[in-house]
Amino acid sequence: MGEFAAYTVLGLSLGGVFALAALGIVLIYRVTGVLNFAHGAMGMFSTFVAWGAVYRWHQPVWLAVLLALGFAAALGLFLQFAVFRPLAGRPAVVKAVVTIGILLVLQSLASLFWGNTQYHEPIRVVGGRSMLIARVPVGPDQVLIVAAALVLASGIAAFLTYTRFGIAMRAVSDDPVAAGLWGVPVWLVGAVSWALGSVLAAIAGILITPFINLDTVSLTLLILDALAAALIGGLASLPLTVAGGFLLGLAESYPSIWFKNSLGFPKLVAIAVILAVLLVRAPKGLLQAGRAST
Amino acid sequence: MSRPVTRPLRNLALAAAAFLVLGWAPNLFHLPLDLQFDAALAVIYAFAILSLVLLTGYVGQVSLCQATFLGIGAYTAAWLFNVFHAPYLLAMAGAVALSFLLGIVVGIPALRLRGIMLAVVTLGVALVFDRYFFADHAFDWFTGGSAGWRVDGTVIARIPMDWIGHALNVYRFGLLLLLIVAVLVVNVHDSGSGRRFRAIRDSELAAATMGVDLTRYKLLAFGLAAAIAGLGGSLFPLAAGQVSPQPFNVFYSLQFAAFAVLMGVRYVPAAAIGGFFGAFVPTLLGRWHPWHLEIRYDWFQVALGALLVAQLIAAPDGVWGDLRQRVAHLLRRRAKPKVAIA
Repeated sequence: MGEFAAYTVLGLSLGGVFALAALGIVLIYRVTGVLNFAHGAMGMFSTFVAWGAVYRWHQPVWLAVLLALGFAAALGLFLQFAVFRPLAGRPAVVKAVVTIGILLVLQSLASLFWGNTQYHEPIRVVGGRSMLIARVPVGPDQVLIVAAALVLASGIAAFLTYTRFGIAMRAVSDDPVAAGLWGVPVWLVGAVSWALGSVLAAIAGILITPFINLDTVSLTLLILDALAAALIGGLASLPLTVAGGFLLGLAESYPSIWFKNSLGFPKLVAIAVILAVLLVRAPKGLLQAGRAST
Repeated sequence: MSRPVTRPLRNLALAAAAFLVLGWAPNLFHLPLDLQFDAALAVIYAFAILSLVLLTGYVGQVSLCQATFLGIGAYTAAWLFNVFHAPYLLAMAGAVALSFLLGIVVGIPALRLRGIMLAVVTLGVALVFDRYFFADHAFDWFTGGSAGWRVDGTVIARIPMDWIGHALNVYRFGLLLLLIVAVLVVNVHDSGSGRRFRAIRDSELAAATMGVDLTRYKLLAFGLAAAIAGLGGSLFPLAAGQVSPQPFNVFYSLQFAAFAVLMGVRYVPAAAIGGFFGAFVPTLLGRWHPWHLEIRYDWFQVALGALLVAQLIAAPDGVWGDLRQRVAHLLRRRAKPKVAIA
């Protein structure tokens, strides 16, 4: 029973990371219509900016994280203005292929700068010993992940519901042309969603570092898990996306109870979830612009 | 439109000429061993890209797992050769057959999905094979364990074909097969199946309304594309002498998609250009030491990604498509009857 609880804690912290990454994917997809295959790579690159600041330039962690988040936001803005603005009006598949190009660029730049196979120390945002909650050891970093996922998701939901800019984002996501006619700055809204999505990916990447073997490849490939979580939310609903992230985290973590000698089959679980979601739900609704249920 | 009889003949003649020229070209240089291997690799990559020309260019189905099929072809051929001591040609046939079947299985989700969602699923397929098949001990019987399979001393039609000094034979053999398949793919474009393929690409709904059996033709396209990639993969053990999971990982699948789109995914010649580009450029960059700087392989991938982004913005039809259009434009201008302009 204790084992089960321990894997639940692990699954929830993984799930928080998936949820954060998936939120960014959903946000970018809803507002700009780009399914971002480079989302994992963007988070990875920003994470390594933080890693470099801590371990190469010997800066305090808070400054490194701040630097990484600033970089992530700049990266998002850059992509919107330099890459996706010229691609306006092109089919969604073309934009998705462009993100594959971005993935390749970020992936190889990161391995040039920071090496792709060597050991990288994790970035510890919070220190301290793990505490016992109901006789299960829970690390403060695990609490932080779950809290960050829940707080950021509610924050974004509140932003989209109550602020003028958030309402503008929802308007663009519903109908960019009509929103433009009403005077909504469609490109700025797109740029903000890219920046926000990129920052979310960076937070996810930085927070997961204590739990994985930190290298450029594994963070880039988190895209599959994040996509699975995003698809559970139908690439539209924020609450369902967060729930999907946590569910996927648990589903990826529990098999390790039975398969002691391996780390389970996380990617297999992710692709099974993707297939189940895509083949059971009407895929039409996922591809066509429906109502935003944020 | 030219007359239907002349086109297949013209294509055959072009392919024969290409075989003579490209097959003879290595004799001009004293290619060192690594570039001889790259020549064979170029042909293998070209198969993978050609499979995308059929699947994405003709039928409009996105696939991000063609390196996986390349790997299935390579492992199956090496497995049949090592475990059953099959003659290598037979092992290759087995590799093609297995790839075809697996392609149909991977194509099943495509019956309900298209576009980006299909890309997501095929990316997942590539990752799963990468992690849990090629590299997992449970499948050691098929993959030869962490040491992989060794393939050497192979002879096809009494011509020695292996990595020890005969890589150029592998190149020429592969080139012959590649050109045959390329002619077939070009001919498919104008055949009845090709019209159905293109109808599916342009609009599945319209195609189904016109009586195209979507299930059959989509699965056929996935199977054929996988078989083409598998055929290319079955050449890999000949050229490399051994099989390991690394050359078939998910990043190569992404690269193949990038090569295909960059060079022009609707055009068969783009496969050859993409293959040569993908195999030779990294090695040549590695040998070129501008100001004593070493250019690592990663720079090639950076350039590839950047070129892909730039191409999709500036020349959406790919390098070959753009070139074709420019040449046609020039010719048309040249052919225009001269009108005196005062």
